[in-house]
Amino acid sequence: MIYIFTSDFIFTKQTIEMALRVPKAPGFASMMKEGSKYTHGLEEAVYRNIGACKELCETTTSSFGPNGLNKMVINHIEKLFVTNDAASILREIDVVHPAAKILMLASDMQEKEIGDGTNYVILFGSKLLENAESLLRMGLSPSEITDGFNLALKKTLELLPTFEIKVNLTKENLRDNEPIVSKVLQTAIGSKLFGYHEFLGDLVTKACLTVTGSDSTSSFNVDNVRICKILGGGLFQSTMVPGMVLKREVESEITKVNQARIAVFSCPIDIQVTETKGTVLLKSADELLAFAKDEETSIETQIKALADAGINVIVSGGKVGEMALHFLNKYKIMAVRLQSKFDLRRVAKTIDAVVLPKLRAPTHGEIGACDSIFVDEIGDTHVIVFKHAKSRIATLILRGSTDQILDDCERAVDDAVNNFKALTRDTILLPGGGATEIELASKLSEYARTCPGIEQYAIQRYAETFEYIPKILAENSGVKSTEILAKLYVGHHDNPNLGFLIGQAKSETTQSNDITYETGDVKLSELYDLYITKKWAVLFATKAACTVLSVDEIICAKPAGGPKQKENKGWDNDD
Amino acid sequence: MSAITTLNPKAESARQAQALAINISAARGLAEMLKTNLGPKGTMKMLVSGAGDIKITKDGNTLLHEMQVQHPTASLIARAATAQDDITGDGTTSIVLLIGELLKQADLYISEGLHPRIVAEGFELAKKEALQILDTLKISIKQDRETLIQIARTSLRTKLTMENADILTDIVVDAILAINEAGKPTDLNMVEIMEMQHRTEADSRLVRGIVLDHGGRHPSMPKALKNAYILTCNISLEYEKPEVNAGFFYKNTEERDRLVLSERKFIDDRVQKIVELKRKVCSGDDKDKTFVIINQKGIDPLSLDVLAKEGILALRRAKRRNMERLTLACGGEAMNSVENLTKECLGFAEDVYEHVLGEEKFTFVEGCKNPKSVTVLLKGSTKYILNQLKDALRDGLRSVTNAIEDGCVIPGGGAFEIVAHQALTQYKQQVKGRARLGVQAFAEALLIIPKAIAQNAGHDQQETIVKLQHEYVTSKIPVGIDITTGEAMEPKSLGIYDNYRVKKQLIHSSTSIATNLILVDEILRAGLSSLRPGGQ
Repeated sequence: MIYIFTSDFIFTKQTIEMALRVPKAPGFASMMKEGSKYTHGLEEAVYRNIGACKELCETTTSSFGPNGLNKMVINHIEKLFVTNDAASILREIDVVHPAAKILMLASDMQEKEIGDGTNYVILFGSKLLENAESLLRMGLSPSEITDGFNLALKKTLELLPTFEIKVNLTKENLRDNEPIVSKVLQTAIGSKLFGYHEFLGDLVTKACLTVTGSDSTSSFNVDNVRICKILGGGLFQSTMVPGMVLKREVESEITKVNQARIAVFSCPIDIQVTETKGTVLLKSADELLAFAKDEETSIETQIKALADAGINVIVSGGKVGEMALHFLNKYKIMAVRLQSKFDLRRVAKTIDAVVLPKLRAPTHGEIGACDSIFVDEIGDTHVIVFKHAKSRIATLILRGSTDQILDDCERAVDDAVNNFKALTRDTILLPGGGATEIELASKLSEYARTCPGIEQYAIQRYAETFEYIPKILAENSGVKSTEILAKLYVGHHDNPNLGFLIGQAKSETTQSNDITYETGDVKLSELYDLYITKKWAVLFATKAACTVLSVDEIICAKPAGGPKQKENKGWDNDD
Repeated sequence: MSAITTLNPKAESARQAQALAINISAARGLAEMLKTNLGPKGTMKMLVSGAGDIKITKDGNTLLHEMQVQHPTASLIARAATAQDDITGDGTTSIVLLIGELLKQADLYISEGLHPRIVAEGFELAKKEALQILDTLKISIKQDRETLIQIARTSLRTKLTMENADILTDIVVDAILAINEAGKPTDLNMVEIMEMQHRTEADSRLVRGIVLDHGGRHPSMPKALKNAYILTCNISLEYEKPEVNAGFFYKNTEERDRLVLSERKFIDDRVQKIVELKRKVCSGDDKDKTFVIINQKGIDPLSLDVLAKEGILALRRAKRRNMERLTLACGGEAMNSVENLTKECLGFAEDVYEHVLGEEKFTFVEGCKNPKSVTVLLKGSTKYILNQLKDALRDGLRSVTNAIEDGCVIPGGGAFEIVAHQALTQYKQQVKGRARLGVQAFAEALLIIPKAIAQNAGHDQQETIVKLQHEYVTSKIPVGIDITTGEAMEPKSLGIYDNYRVKKQLIHSSTSIATNLILVDEILRAGLSSLRPGGQ
């Protein structure tokens, strides 16, 4: 026990003083700096922490699943977000409660590790805590509960791969199984943008497979699938381009080149200058004329050398001087200027060129090639398109009527691309639509019954927590969750792949597509979840829940004022 | 009103009984606070800093640091704990507990009218005796892996959960064994700790080499190399402006182009020298060898380009401390100029590769022959887990080094305290006068350690202590608590060892702090009369 006398609090409040006073009253609180908070014990710390996590979960629950609702979040710089992506909601609302923050960090980690399933982590973690609370009130100690949860986690990770739906998908044959890959990505998109999932899923699959190339062994980089958002049109007008699409205009007069031969420079296309300050020393008007002439010819020779090497497009990371531009036009070379050095590297990668640091004619190996480079007008936005069939970078041009829709769409595509990346790491597919969870719930309950110790209660609750997933899926769709759960449990005796399905069916009466909610075999309707996503989500959620449970004392320092500390990121990024 | 207020009306004071009460209550309050953290079953505390960062810890020193203690007595104790941490790296929670308990026991006698000075004398006598008892309990050790693992495990399990502790135990011992050279003091700076926010704690490992927290600076540089020569250098490979204010004068473009070239020549020559060395060492029989440059200074894009063309991986702006470690890990020497570059200056590593994590890059230099500097790669999903691991790792490394330097250990699990209590109770009979009571108080106070361990593990304090004492008296073997059963166990057979110097330091400093505190009879604080009223 720690003694905290209420009088101490009053005392500290009265004496707003400088450091190290002569203390007059006993007790721990008087030892701390003014403004610190100290909470301790089950009632004060643990239950409150659980309460905070529950509240956090309530915000995100309604966004879970294909029929999850959107949230409107306005962040500290007054930017508006309309989304049902848990990761972005949480990032923007700036959680401060320490326990809720732990859960948020877990979801953050899921975002980094997999890039999908963030809401799953929050949901599962806080429902675990909710269940733990009732166990605590029953009289179990937090350490007994965490022991039980850890046992259950171990068992879950053992069980998960055994539910695999075998579709003969391996890391090597992803390219040959486009329909299956597409189905997997559709599940991911479906949970964010239901209705567009089939269209976008196919598009993203194509983009991802373009990028992977023929040798699936090399690692897949999420960065290679680019997104270019262009306002206007509808989502169904989105397209995929093998290569790069940049929202810029060309510098030169020439705007379209087929079978381009390209030189890429990281330096400006202009007269060379010394690092040290230079001064031109002129004595007469003749010298001035000669100098100007000299400069002209020097540029012309350089540009000519490029033209002679067969270059018809140059891409530059710096500015293109007016004089240089004149000669570029003269020699019919297209000039593209890029602001970002990353874009420059990506373009170089697309066309397989080497970025040159100095203005000189490139050697044969350094020249890039591209099927066609042209300026296009999409909506009222001008874009430069680098279209190259053999490109290792693909760009999705997303169309939509508002910025918010486009942003949301981008997040959905990001999730899908991340799912593809996860697929290149591990191709085990699990039944989706809550089928895995129901199966886990019943298997874990069986396991709990075989455990002799007090942990069995915790394991039992852990198993029940899995029920929430199909339950919330159903609730968010406006279907009676208890009915669905009962159906699922009954059905799972014969078919472990039974899940909650949201489908579209032709209706006889209305002659249009009606959305249906029912239970059914997810294997038949090809609703797949990734094993690896589930594995990490369950792992992170359980660890976070256990951490929250194992804390029984919280000491908060007085919140510091002033701006947040700047992180020293990119300290070496000066080139 | 004390006399000081007539001298300085702004001064504050607390006198005699009140002063003592303040000190004792502060020490006890702090001890009660930290009590729950002691031992393998101690609970965690969550600290939220002013900026909202979360820290979850049970390390006494970290807690005292982060708690922002303001009470004068409490901060005195906190400083003693910091000293304990600086000297031994462990036992910080114990020292706070012991001071609190010593004061509590002393308070019993002082409230009965015993003069604090006499209690202090008793403490002094008891301390000397306790140190002698400590010496009799020494178990000398051999430097074999098995023993060191036991020592590391004992220390780590009190800081982390069981699973995490076991992961770190092997890492700690292997790290120490790698860098330890017989007869030389162990330099723990040679164990670099690198954190990576990635995956889970179970993926932490020992890298026999160096991990640098940045990567190659050129997109076309190789990402992974096998059998690489490593040039560790501190040579600027970028254009640096001269210190004097210089300028060029030229008349025509030809002159200017020449100046452009000459300006870079200086740097280009250096790069060329390195490239030549690379060509020399990576030719003939060593054709499949590769080359890595790790430079403390900068390398500019043009130089990088030249190096990239040669297939050289170049890292720039490496940290100063890593330069020293690099040469220790992979051999060679750190070069400060491009003159006299020979093959002998180069280090060697079997594997050099880049690992990208989000936006951060890490470069691993691994597979060094007989490295004298190693890196512990800590992984964890969140920052607070990484911090927790890092703090624990430091303590683990310290405890193993301590054991090696001491050449002996003490049976753990509260065994020393039980033995000392018994011995001191007997010793008491030889002490004449009232100082005997001080010895008695000291003996009782020692028991707080096994009591707290028992309580945190969910056992009855008194019952456990009685059991242990009985067991010790009958068997004469030092016994500690088995935290799972609450019964007596022999620490030696289970491999639970404490550091000798930790206990020694603990007895020393806790006694002196406690003595100081009970001898205080007035607390004064000079008022700052020059400031505005209220001191704001």
